[in-house]
Amino acid sequence: MCASVKHSSRGPALIPRMKTKHRIYYVALFSVVLLGLLATGVFQFWPHSIEASGDWAVEKRSAAVPVVRLPSDSPVPERGDLSCRMHTCFDVYRCGFNPKNKIKVYIYSLKKYVDELGMPVSGSISREYNELLSAIADSDYYTEDISRACLFVPSIDLLSQHALHIRETAQALAQLSRWDRGTNHLLFNMLPGGPPDYNTALDVPRDRALLAGGGFSTWTYRQGYDVSIPVYSPLSAEVALPEKGPGPRRYFLLSSQMAIHPEYREELEALQAKHGEAVLVLDKCTNLSEGVLSVRKRCHKHQVFDYPQVLQEATFCVVLRGARLGQAALSDVLRAGCVPVVIADSYILPFSEVLDWKRASVVVPEEKIADMYGVLQSIPRRQMEEMQRQVRWFWDAYFQSIKAIALATLQIINDRIYPYAAISYEQWNDPPAVKWSSVSNPLFLPLIPPQSQGFTAIVLTYDRVESLFRVITEVSKVPSLSKLLVVWNNQNKNPPEDSLWPKIRVPLKVVRTAENKLSNRFFPYDEIETEAVLAIDDDIIMLTSDELQFGYEVWREFPDRLVGYPGRLHLWDHEMNKWKYESEWTNEVSMVLTGAAFYHKYFNYLYTYKMPGDIKNWVDAHMNCEDIAMNFLVANVTGKAVIKVTPRKKFKCPECTAIDGLSLDQTHMVERSECINKFASVFGTMPLKVVEHRADPVLYKDDFPEKLKSFPNIGSL
Amino acid sequence: MQFWRRKSLWLALSASWLLLILLGASPLLRLAVSPRPQPATPQGWPHWLDAALLQSFSQPEEPPEDVPQPSQALHGARCSWGTCFDTSRCRDDGLKVFAHPAAGTASETHRRILASLEGSRYHARSLTEACLFLLLSQGTSAGQCGPAPHHWDGGRNHLVINLHPDSCPRASQLGQAMVAEASPRVDTFRPGFDVALPLLPEAHPFRGGAPGQLRQHSPHPSAALLALGEEGGRWHTASTHSATCPWDGRCEQDLGPKQDLSCASLGPTLGKSCPTPPSASSLADVLKPLVSSKPCSPHWELPFSEVIDWTKAAIVADERLPLQVLAALQEMAPARVLALRQQTQFLWDAYFSSVEKVIHTTLEIIQDRILGTSAHPSLLWNSPPGALLALSTFSRSPQDFPFYHLQQSSHPEGRFSALIWVGTPSQPPLKLIQAVAGSQHCAQIMVLWSRERPLPFRWPETAVPLTIMDGPRKVSDRFFPYSAISTDAILSLDAHSSLSTSEVDFAFVVWQSFPERMVGFLTWNHFWDESQDGWGYTAEMANEFSMVLTAAAFYHRYYHTLFTHSLPEALRTLADEGPACADVLMNFLVAAVTKLPPIKVPYGKLHQEAAPLAPGVPGSRPHPQPPDQDCINQMAAEFGHMPLVSSRLRLDPVLFKDPVSVQRKKYRSLEKP
Repeated sequence: MCASVKHSSRGPALIPRMKTKHRIYYVALFSVVLLGLLATGVFQFWPHSIEASGDWAVEKRSAAVPVVRLPSDSPVPERGDLSCRMHTCFDVYRCGFNPKNKIKVYIYSLKKYVDELGMPVSGSISREYNELLSAIADSDYYTEDISRACLFVPSIDLLSQHALHIRETAQALAQLSRWDRGTNHLLFNMLPGGPPDYNTALDVPRDRALLAGGGFSTWTYRQGYDVSIPVYSPLSAEVALPEKGPGPRRYFLLSSQMAIHPEYREELEALQAKHGEAVLVLDKCTNLSEGVLSVRKRCHKHQVFDYPQVLQEATFCVVLRGARLGQAALSDVLRAGCVPVVIADSYILPFSEVLDWKRASVVVPEEKIADMYGVLQSIPRRQMEEMQRQVRWFWDAYFQSIKAIALATLQIINDRIYPYAAISYEQWNDPPAVKWSSVSNPLFLPLIPPQSQGFTAIVLTYDRVESLFRVITEVSKVPSLSKLLVVWNNQNKNPPEDSLWPKIRVPLKVVRTAENKLSNRFFPYDEIETEAVLAIDDDIIMLTSDELQFGYEVWREFPDRLVGYPGRLHLWDHEMNKWKYESEWTNEVSMVLTGAAFYHKYFNYLYTYKMPGDIKNWVDAHMNCEDIAMNFLVANVTGKAVIKVTPRKKFKCPECTAIDGLSLDQTHMVERSECINKFASVFGTMPLKVVEHRADPVLYKDDFPEKLKSFPNIGSL
Repeated sequence: MQFWRRKSLWLALSASWLLLILLGASPLLRLAVSPRPQPATPQGWPHWLDAALLQSFSQPEEPPEDVPQPSQALHGARCSWGTCFDTSRCRDDGLKVFAHPAAGTASETHRRILASLEGSRYHARSLTEACLFLLLSQGTSAGQCGPAPHHWDGGRNHLVINLHPDSCPRASQLGQAMVAEASPRVDTFRPGFDVALPLLPEAHPFRGGAPGQLRQHSPHPSAALLALGEEGGRWHTASTHSATCPWDGRCEQDLGPKQDLSCASLGPTLGKSCPTPPSASSLADVLKPLVSSKPCSPHWELPFSEVIDWTKAAIVADERLPLQVLAALQEMAPARVLALRQQTQFLWDAYFSSVEKVIHTTLEIIQDRILGTSAHPSLLWNSPPGALLALSTFSRSPQDFPFYHLQQSSHPEGRFSALIWVGTPSQPPLKLIQAVAGSQHCAQIMVLWSRERPLPFRWPETAVPLTIMDGPRKVSDRFFPYSAISTDAILSLDAHSSLSTSEVDFAFVVWQSFPERMVGFLTWNHFWDESQDGWGYTAEMANEFSMVLTAAAFYHRYYHTLFTHSLPEALRTLADEGPACADVLMNFLVAAVTKLPPIKVPYGKLHQEAAPLAPGVPGSRPHPQPPDQDCINQMAAEFGHMPLVSSRLRLDPVLFKDPVSVQRKKYRSLEKP
């Protein structure tokens, strides 16, 4: 309006000589139109914020939620069945085949339950339960189709048993449309039980329903059926704590809970008296001024501490059982990066089915509180820091929000239903930094394959038939050769007729390729039956039978490595600030050329299907460096160095361009260096390992009769 | 003019009105027709505008909860480790186990179990020093449980090994005792308290046991590996030697309709054609090449599930969804199949292949519970060589062991400690000390001066700390884990050994690549002697070798701990008797752990001739000495198998004896002819 008035004051330009009355009239009309258009626009393009089926305000909830009247004699489910296990009480058929191996979760729509007199029996939904259901609804697990669902989550808030009408809530559960004795229903509860005995599981009769509960004990927890979840602490979510690195902190041991049994408090205070400054036992404050939240303060004598900030000052923090086994203090402690010392006999720690709490906590029996200090002192510093990092990871991944808790719970159930697609121990437990840096060798079992298996030689060839035939003849003399595979990479020319090939004692197969690509040499051909593969170029005729046989023997002792003849090295060029390829006579080796190398056939599969980034295409496009790529791949996946066998040879033959001949070429060297830099950037690291040794026969060059040596013909040019 | 203006204004106005009506009418109409939201199910869980205003589920203002009395000791089914086991009794000496004498005649399996316990480092000779009491349930398949022993104490700190679980009623009678039995049901099993065992057949070997069947890493179409199968509700473990399934050949039979389908549909996945149900007759063929092992349904607790991560070795699937399993297996990545197969072999070999291993594993699990925070991490249980060979008393950090550097992305330390053993009367090995001290990797030199002679007055000046240690009497003392050894690597030497600095440097660099193996200069080879019908070994130069002499060898200091704390007394006594035996024993030990041969590095000819390196006590034998063949056979018997592995290679420097200028070579002194 203000704007319009301004315009009208400068009016003459637009509406000249109009009477004031008219002018007001027009301005009003325009304003109405403008406002109308604005409103429409907002309505059209931003409709969800105002009125969409998914957005409910408070009034709406009370008005739109259907009311369900529960007669007092409506059925009550059986009490929880303690013998329930996945294979007895869970209907897996509802989960059925699923290509993604992901369960489907349905959330019942919100209803309001009233008793016969119309009095509401279910409390309103808590902030956390709303968050939890939203998290499920936003996740991949969610389905709207009740008939496709495998798991059902009621929209009845059971997080706290406090102020819950037990019987009526149970009746409300029983009338859910797919209840069926609670089969495949998942109930969330964080604060179970009530005074005076505080049961460790939700008291609401729930028949076969799965319970995700905070505070299970060994005798209420149905191993492999229920899920133990943390007690969420709203306090930790509110307070911002700066991140603190691992290392010892000001207090060695801290107890911050307020409701502790006097007997235990006495024991803790005795510890404090004995160890002085290192131990701090806090209690609630008695003389706080008005307006200060008592939950945010803790006191020791007259000293006042901020909670949960004070937790960050301690290396170990006591989490003692209260009336309930599960304590929200555990979440606060994890939040602060303090290693929890859990003192709650028979307590099932949160997500203990998958999380390895030994790595992130210390469990002390209630009887042993007095010995606790000694136990903690005996933990070496390195292990303690490891625990702190682990605590941090557990908090970040599984505790920090209701969403994280909900998703971890569903993942655990998902893993049980699709165990073959389950998340591994390492994925659950290893912090990202460890996952990233650790190497898990695919051939980790130490074993020496039997010699009898032999090896398959794969010769990549284009059109050098004469040289190829010489290679075939030479290689066929090796005793352990079991098959020879020629990869014919020339699409314009047919391989020679069968009759022209050399006659050898082992099967010879020719594979014709569709495209002239270097990667073809590393394809996992079905014809390869042995584990050992010898990749050999069609011009490597200078290797003796002894040398090749010895190479195979070396491979048997190192089946997870590349075992090859010509060795190469990568170096850091300080001037250019990048990697450099080196083929000179050096004392070190980090690669072997696959022009003549033994390796496990599994690496063919890896090269063809698991090569990171665009390396494979780069190799095929440049027609170079397939061997360097293979060296990178094997070193990266195994974390081990290559083995170079036998002394250096001049890999040169008079009529062909051999590896060495080619390598000497300056542009070739530049190109190879480029490959190393390219691959290192794709892998994100330099996986190649430099070693100073090579493998020779035991008696090589020893003063011993040549004829008695197993491999006499080694290293002769 | 004015008219034209007014007209255009009117036009603009009416156009805007029209626009407004067009755009605004439809939503307005919608609102008018249905003023309340559709009762249809909302998309997902509704987003609440006032979510922030909702109350939290927990009221922090709640008055402090009533705190109950500390719990009392619990019984029977409610037992857990914290409540029913008194760890304070195990405080001083750690776990010590006493077995109650068996009443009546003991079966062969019972005898083997008791013998395994006696061979364990946790064995207690008397009732008083023990903190865990082992009771072999006498119940036979015929029924009836033996009477409780005198020192029963309500079952507290007792472990009942129940080989025939059906015969004895459970927890009610057992009080606070832990139960170790084969394949307990998941609903009676108390996790963290009971121990799940594999079923031990009568014929299960006492010691050693057959190695796994895996001879190659990648799948081979027709070999069953570690097989676990459900037969009448029990887990069997076996390594197959033939194409038949391991348990009583049932796999070859056709499945009758009466047989338990749960096993039927899962059996085949063990790798070989186990019973095939008519409904899924093609299952076996599809799975054979794919699967390593797959136990049946999850009714039963898997053996040692407390520590073994079965997801790494098995596919536990629900028998109710065989088709789904089938599909999943077909899609399984080759990498996973490869890993599963290898893991089954490792587990078999580490924990299952003999009665002794099964019993030792059981005790180790209980020891881990007592240790609490210093127990074996999961990694040590689930990767080679396994927790029985990776002593938690050595360290809890995996990177301190020689086996886990890859997983931990760590490296062995870049320095070594030289340990020189001076046995026979001789001059101080001055030249040797100088040569070793010259190595850039040497951190310290320790001389074990074992003679009763006075210490020599002068020791050479060295760049590294030189410590003289007095006192060792026995040969096996040279493998004692002296606390003064501060580095990962040990260079074990005899006073008579003669090495050059180059040799030491090169051997150490090689060791860094193979920290779990022994790297040595002089070698022996073992062989099967047909004429003697036993093992023999020779020091003669040969094309292969299987042992390196500890008179000059690098190895990880962990092997000192293993040698001293894990080997049975009998073996160490044997080593003390025949000095050469100590070398053999150390090689046996390392080979049994690594399953790999040691590594040989080049050794200059010259000083080999000048001062032959002799095994054990130097000088006592000429170089190609006639070794004591007896000890290798006794050791093979004690180990239950021959662990030594032969190698045919030697690791030389890259340019070793290559036709290139010596100036280019790093280890020049190795080049001398």
